[in-house]
Amino acid sequence: MSTRLYWEIGKRAFQRQLAYRTANLAGLFTNACFGYLRGSVFIALYQTERSIGGYDVSAAVTFTWVTQALIMVVFLWGWWDVEETIRTGDVVSDLAKPFSYLGFWLARDYGRALYHLLFRCCPILLIGEVMFGLRWPTSPVTWAALALSLTLAVAISFAWRFTLNLTAFWTTDARGIGGLASILSTLLCGLLVPLPYFPDTVRRVVEALPFAGILQIPADVFLERVTGAGLLLALGQQALWAGVMLGATQLLVMAATRRVVVQGG
Amino acid sequence: MIRHAALYARLVGARGRGQMQYRLSFATLVLASVLVTLAEFLVVVVIFGRIPHLAGWSLGEVAVLYGLSAISFAMAEMFAAGFDVFPRQIVQGTFDRVLTRPLGAFFQVLASELALRKIGKVAQGAAILVYAQHSLAVHWSPERLVVLALTVVSGTAIFFSLIVICATSCFWTVQANEAVNVLTNGGTAMISYPLDIYHAWLRRLATFVVPLAFVSYYPALYVLDRADPLGLPAWVGFLSPVAAAAFGFLAWTVWSVGVRHYQGTGS
Amino acid sequence: MQPGDEPVPLIEVDELEKTFRVARHHQGFFGAFRNLVSREYREVRAVGGITFAIEAGEMVGCIGPNGAGKSTTIKMLTGILVPSAGRVEVFGMVPHRRRTDVARRIGVVFGQRTQLWWDLPLVESLDLLRYIYRVPESRFRENLDQFRALLDLDPFLNTPVRQLSLGQRMRGDLAAALLHDPEIVYLDEPTIGLDVVAKHRIRDFLRRINRERGVTILLTTHDMIDIEQLCSRLLIIDHGKLLYDGGLEKIRGRFGTERTLVVDLAEGEVEDSAPLAVLYAREVRADGPRRWLRFSRDDTTAADLIATVASRYRLRDLSIEEPEIEAIIRRIYEGNW
Repeated sequence: MSTRLYWEIGKRAFQRQLAYRTANLAGLFTNACFGYLRGSVFIALYQTERSIGGYDVSAAVTFTWVTQALIMVVFLWGWWDVEETIRTGDVVSDLAKPFSYLGFWLARDYGRALYHLLFRCCPILLIGEVMFGLRWPTSPVTWAALALSLTLAVAISFAWRFTLNLTAFWTTDARGIGGLASILSTLLCGLLVPLPYFPDTVRRVVEALPFAGILQIPADVFLERVTGAGLLLALGQQALWAGVMLGATQLLVMAATRRVVVQGG
Repeated sequence: MIRHAALYARLVGARGRGQMQYRLSFATLVLASVLVTLAEFLVVVVIFGRIPHLAGWSLGEVAVLYGLSAISFAMAEMFAAGFDVFPRQIVQGTFDRVLTRPLGAFFQVLASELALRKIGKVAQGAAILVYAQHSLAVHWSPERLVVLALTVVSGTAIFFSLIVICATSCFWTVQANEAVNVLTNGGTAMISYPLDIYHAWLRRLATFVVPLAFVSYYPALYVLDRADPLGLPAWVGFLSPVAAAAFGFLAWTVWSVGVRHYQGTGS
Repeated sequence: MQPGDEPVPLIEVDELEKTFRVARHHQGFFGAFRNLVSREYREVRAVGGITFAIEAGEMVGCIGPNGAGKSTTIKMLTGILVPSAGRVEVFGMVPHRRRTDVARRIGVVFGQRTQLWWDLPLVESLDLLRYIYRVPESRFRENLDQFRALLDLDPFLNTPVRQLSLGQRMRGDLAAALLHDPEIVYLDEPTIGLDVVAKHRIRDFLRRINRERGVTILLTTHDMIDIEQLCSRLLIIDHGKLLYDGGLEKIRGRFGTERTLVVDLAEGEVEDSAPLAVLYAREVRADGPRRWLRFSRDDTTAADLIATVASRYRLRDLSIEEPEIEAIIRRIYEGNW
């Protein structure tokens, strides 16, 4: 199937977001408030310490704002678009369409993510810069790596959200289960606290999980905490998880399709 | 009054019976409300694993702030749940129906839902307080017990009023709802840490405008026998009921203005 | 009866007005910012000076196109909305000032939205309303029994409201609105979306409670059959103005001045395409030998016209069409009667 089709799907999804301007402004305000509150907490942490988990105070504050800015890019909570089509039954016609079901939704999600990158992430970073002063990337290589890292982060988070949505094929309580699961992902992606803050044994585990690829790794790329071989390794970890999870999701789609065919929705 | 209490029980009970049809969801919602608080507190524990003190406060002392704000917020969410779903009433136009019934609008919104699922979060907050007591071994004089009891009741009232005020904004616009809710969600996050880590303007805001400082910070200073870095006297810790009454009055006024505005403009 | 002794109308509306301020929205991302900071408004007059009175026991129908001001008027009568100008009194009270006092004595049905509890069986909703309106137990029983019979509620009395069909739900809503013996019932499009059978049943019910209980009824509708079958009096509202207030028959006389004479010409009488030329009438339609001639009461009588036509053409058959009430109302809306 032509890439042109997915390009068009993504473009539509981008344009669709333009209708929710006021909601986006409200969200901007929310993210900025939390950026301020968390930033203040981190500054207080460093009253007595120079470095915690390898982060000095300016790195920690920047980390907070970058993760706040990215919440909507990776759409951390409350994405139930697919579950809704399953509940209403519209999914049957979607599955029957002559293109990849997974690709269709992935293209839409990239369109949406681009919108949030431009109209949510960028303004939040600017606000953070004005309020606290952030540590910006110094090398053009970092920006390129960041673009790649974010692309992979969206793919990982998409696969995770998509899987939670697909459970609606097997349970009527997908949102409840998804709500529980998203508490887990929130804790393990680095939003509340950088993963290196965790005790060392725990840290090694959580840094290897796919959730680290959603916020922790892009934020570390932004901060240039990973460079050279370390950068390649980090991006490789993201790519690996993105591939594995998208593959698993595709298998799930096939299982769901069989189920729809057998039961007729 | 008695009639209203009986009617409240009846309406809330009916709502509860309706919700029972989704029992699985109820269980997961309780669990979710427990886990969110747990996850957030876990972060505090993680942070204190790396540093001994936060702006001079120990983990146990921060736990007092955390527990108090969690309990008050959860209780307020439980009773003010009707105001939480109120934006939907405005959007769908069902608020018109409220105004055709021979009961006050405030009462009807209040009685439209009681979020019992928040009980998990209340218990969670209490557990955090127990943990704080375990690590601090506070001596509970009668005065301190009085402050604690007054604080939980007043804190609930303050958060309740805040939720009402946020909901009232929907009479003007529902689109800014997320921004308005920063006051409640952000407010809880804010008062879970000692207020002296924030800028002075925010502390003043939390004392004189949206008196969230009286939910946890000032009472905690009193109970923990800590001096206020801003030099306020210790008896400020007793003022939570006053702050709650004043803020409750403000919420009631704002609500009345909102209803009148709605009657002037319709949906 | 003494002059000062005339019956006080139940509903009195005098030069009633309602003007809404509608925010002008700016477009674009920066427009959203501007919407938050400064707003410009334009005024929309939904109701612009309406006067009428309704006596106890009347059954009045109110029609008008969407956005004409019908619902806004009802909302002011119930106290949901405060008028911008003019006077409204129900039971001698201003509804929005004494909202709960008025609410106790009225019933309201919004056709589009139910007042029943979505997740609960119908019977439980009715029971809750009994407590909300403080209906004595015995009276509640009597009413419920009667409504069960009249509206045939029994088959779905224990079904959750969300599972009811639209017609069943409307029957439940009617019972809910009447449980507390209201003196006035407002019905905003009670038959919208219903099939013929359901409409029939609901009209039957409304007729009975109006006749047997003396309940005053004001209903809005788009369905002229509702009006023709139920109402002795009709209000026509458009663009916030009251265009007509009076009986159904009178409206034909007043606005329906144009009638149509339909004639079937004898074979070979006129070439198929040539229109008939008759004074005071114009041919508005032709279908082979059948011709439609429109004429006005003001110009000629039906008898004269028939005589004229018959003297000039050989006819096989003829009939006179009275204007459809719906057509009259359409022309009233269009302002060209």
